[in-house]
Amino acid sequence: MENGIGRREFLRGSAGLVLGGSTLLSAGCGVGQETGSEEAVKKVVPAKVDGDLLVFNWTEYMDPKLITSFEDRYKVKVRTANFDSMPSMMAKLRSGNAYDVIFPTADYVNRLVQANMLLELDRDKLRNAETIYSFFDDPWYDGKSAHTVPYAMYTTGIAWRDDKVEGISGSWNDLMNESAKGKVFMLDDFQEGIGQANLLNGFDLNATDPAELAKTKETLEQQKEFLRGYSTNAAPQLLSGAAWIHHAWNGDIINTRNQAKNKNPELYKFETCKEGIPVGSDCMAIPVNAKSPGTALLFLDWILDPVNASQNIQYHGYPMPIEGSEDSFAELAADDPAIEVSVEDLEGGSQFKELSVAERKAWDRVWTEVKA
Amino acid sequence: MNGPDELRPAASPRATRGGYDRPRFLWAVTASVYLFLYAPIAVVILFSFNGIKSLQVLDGFSLQWYETFWNDEELRESLIASIQIAAITTVVATVIGTALALGTVRSGGRTGSWLGILLLIPLVTPEIVAGVSAFVLFAQLGVHLSLTTIILAHITFSISYVVVVVRGRLASLGTDREEAALDLGATPWQAVRLVTLPALWPAILAAAMIVFALSFDDFVLSFFTTGETPQPLPVRIYSALRFGISPTINAVGTVMMLVSALFIALAIALPRLLGRRESGLAVLTGSSR
Amino acid sequence: MTNAFWRRFLVPGALWLAFFFAVPLGIAIAISLGQAAEFGGVIYGFHPENYADALDPLFAPILVRSVGYAAATALLCLVIGYPVAYTIARFGGPYKNALIAAILLPFLINYLVRTYAWVALLADEGLLSSVAGEPLGILNTPVAVVGGLVYGYLGFMILPIYASLERMDRALIEAGKDLYGSPRQTFRHVTWPQTLPGVLAGSLLVFLPAVGDFVSAQLLGGPDTYMVGNLIQQQFYGADNWPFGAALTVVLMAFLMVFVAFFLRGGRAAERREALA
Repeated sequence: MENGIGRREFLRGSAGLVLGGSTLLSAGCGVGQETGSEEAVKKVVPAKVDGDLLVFNWTEYMDPKLITSFEDRYKVKVRTANFDSMPSMMAKLRSGNAYDVIFPTADYVNRLVQANMLLELDRDKLRNAETIYSFFDDPWYDGKSAHTVPYAMYTTGIAWRDDKVEGISGSWNDLMNESAKGKVFMLDDFQEGIGQANLLNGFDLNATDPAELAKTKETLEQQKEFLRGYSTNAAPQLLSGAAWIHHAWNGDIINTRNQAKNKNPELYKFETCKEGIPVGSDCMAIPVNAKSPGTALLFLDWILDPVNASQNIQYHGYPMPIEGSEDSFAELAADDPAIEVSVEDLEGGSQFKELSVAERKAWDRVWTEVKA
Repeated sequence: MNGPDELRPAASPRATRGGYDRPRFLWAVTASVYLFLYAPIAVVILFSFNGIKSLQVLDGFSLQWYETFWNDEELRESLIASIQIAAITTVVATVIGTALALGTVRSGGRTGSWLGILLLIPLVTPEIVAGVSAFVLFAQLGVHLSLTTIILAHITFSISYVVVVVRGRLASLGTDREEAALDLGATPWQAVRLVTLPALWPAILAAAMIVFALSFDDFVLSFFTTGETPQPLPVRIYSALRFGISPTINAVGTVMMLVSALFIALAIALPRLLGRRESGLAVLTGSSR
Repeated sequence: MTNAFWRRFLVPGALWLAFFFAVPLGIAIAISLGQAAEFGGVIYGFHPENYADALDPLFAPILVRSVGYAAATALLCLVIGYPVAYTIARFGGPYKNALIAAILLPFLINYLVRTYAWVALLADEGLLSSVAGEPLGILNTPVAVVGGLVYGYLGFMILPIYASLERMDRALIEAGKDLYGSPRQTFRHVTWPQTLPGVLAGSLLVFLPAVGDFVSAQLLGGPDTYMVGNLIQQQFYGADNWPFGAALTVVLMAFLMVFVAFFLRGGRAAERREALA
């Protein structure tokens, strides 16, 4: 009758493809289940150049001059790829892309280690390993610091405009400051948001008990009354006048002051809160499928060098746990000691721990209910 | 046939009937819209010369961001990658989409409207799911992610845009002229080439422009389907949300706009300078026929 | 030309979409029926309870809000965009093509960068506020979110309308003027119906993607502007719960397709009424 594809054949064909595609997957082959093997993790890597380097990092988190100087020193090419969040980084790692150096946060390191996705690092090959604060010799997230070195530390607190706000009291209650009602921003990060409410209520930072979460949810809803918005960019919000109070990281305030340095940097202040200080750190690690792990080791060592670390701090504005770099950060934090992250803060502060799938769901539920 | 529109004077006497000067009012509206479109562009350009690393506070004048852009090889690679991806996506998606539009509208009956609705599904698909599914598909097939995979994903999601735009014009074009061409002895393919496509041309061009803009600015889909490096430019930029965007990106944008504006100006002016009466762009777009 | 001839045009597109779109869609559905595993992975299986979760009434206001914003965006784009397309097509003269290209030129600058520029312009202590003398207070409101959406999608309304206006059969307009007398009537009975398909195209291209948009709400929004795009993003990026994110997405897509199907049938009925009028 007609030549060409009839309607029925077409529909049958496409239905077949869709079903075929889904059965292919439902047959238990789980993409994203890749975990490394024990042997891969323990691979011995000599600390010498074995190819060009591919670094996977946040944008604007490392001084480009350090990268150029590394390239000159070791005569290799360093390329950088960027991600915008931990889940994104994980998605790219699982997609089979091979990166040489990655920058996971502490709680992600824990999960990566358990999944055998990180190479073991031979501390002897890292000359600058001794300069790292001893707190990181055996951190909770990476036993004996076998797979990572710390990169930068950060604390979460509250930043505010000193000329607009009064009554700052050193507590998480300051997010509900009357003089700044309608001009408060909370971090658009469900861990940070729920975390501070947990602390305010006297619970553990990572509390997951349903009764506690219910109370935390109430707190968040109360705090929402004061909010102008949620954001992860404290600097633009503070500088543009949108935010008089901003739930922020310590490096944000450095960034803010830097941008206002010729005008009125003293207006921007930062505090950590007495109910509890979330402390975090970003780490550097080498994935098991890195193509140039030797070069990666050299790169880690390069970044850990105190002189380089000092220079790096000036660029990204966060403290690094490297002996010999404190002055560099102290210089940035001169006006406001609250920005400093001392070893006491590390030991006494609360760190975000990884949550199980069910716990994450519960936290996400609370966050969605508050935001809806 | 019809007299060409552009040889008429802009404000014909008829247009002023009805009490108010219609063209002038319309031009005022149009100018305001252009102002709306370009106000932030002016700010972008302004901050590209900022003396400090800020997109909020203006402090001094400096060309350092242009210098950084000049020296940053990876940034340039990202930009070129984005352009390549957008260009290839535009060509392929426009061809496939136009064919689909013709097929669904002209092959009467229910298949056409059926497919027409189905073709809207990509438009309602949030990119993050599209990206995730595409990445799983490629992983299952054992295909390593690269510029090619980005292009494949972009084409897939642009086709529907082309279909919608081309259909928007096709619907009001009758088949009479094609029938006439057939009567005059043309083969169906010739009729399509010489009658249908030229009549569709403004829509095809509009669709192509939309696809290019979409592809060039795409982040989510690109992120999930990109290889290690180079990453398309928007991926780098969106990843800067945590620590802040540098005015270097403003410099990139300014350069892109200047270069494109230059191209367009040349395309219009050059043939005129060389003695032809019509502008080059008009010849390209065939709008003066 | 026969239907069979035209049907061949469907082949390349159909094959392409079947493989590169339908299969991933099947994958998305498979993910939606799975369980969340470590690191955002998925353990495939059959867990329809994800859909029960996705149909939670908690999400209804988020969806309604998103549809509302998107509809407002489409309407505004139409009201602003139609006159622009008309002016350029009708009165643009030799500058027509440059004017149209100028609509698209801003898209060469990344959307995020342009949005930050708006923040600098509209901020309480930004450029426009200093001119006005007092803080504008526009940012972080639904107005700002819709404004951001309009800004991002306006070109997608203008271009299809322009494409349907351009090289419109002048003879029709002339005939219309003779028939109806006034320019307003001519517009209503001749021009507008001719451009209706273009208007429809533009409306679809603005409304549908706008519902799932997340950037505008993220950067310009306030505490109560949470959109469905942000919700879905949170599932993938924050909560690492891909199956739930996928289930939410499928529900959203189904809802939108039904919505659009109704809208299109209504539009076709309106077209028939116009033709008879």
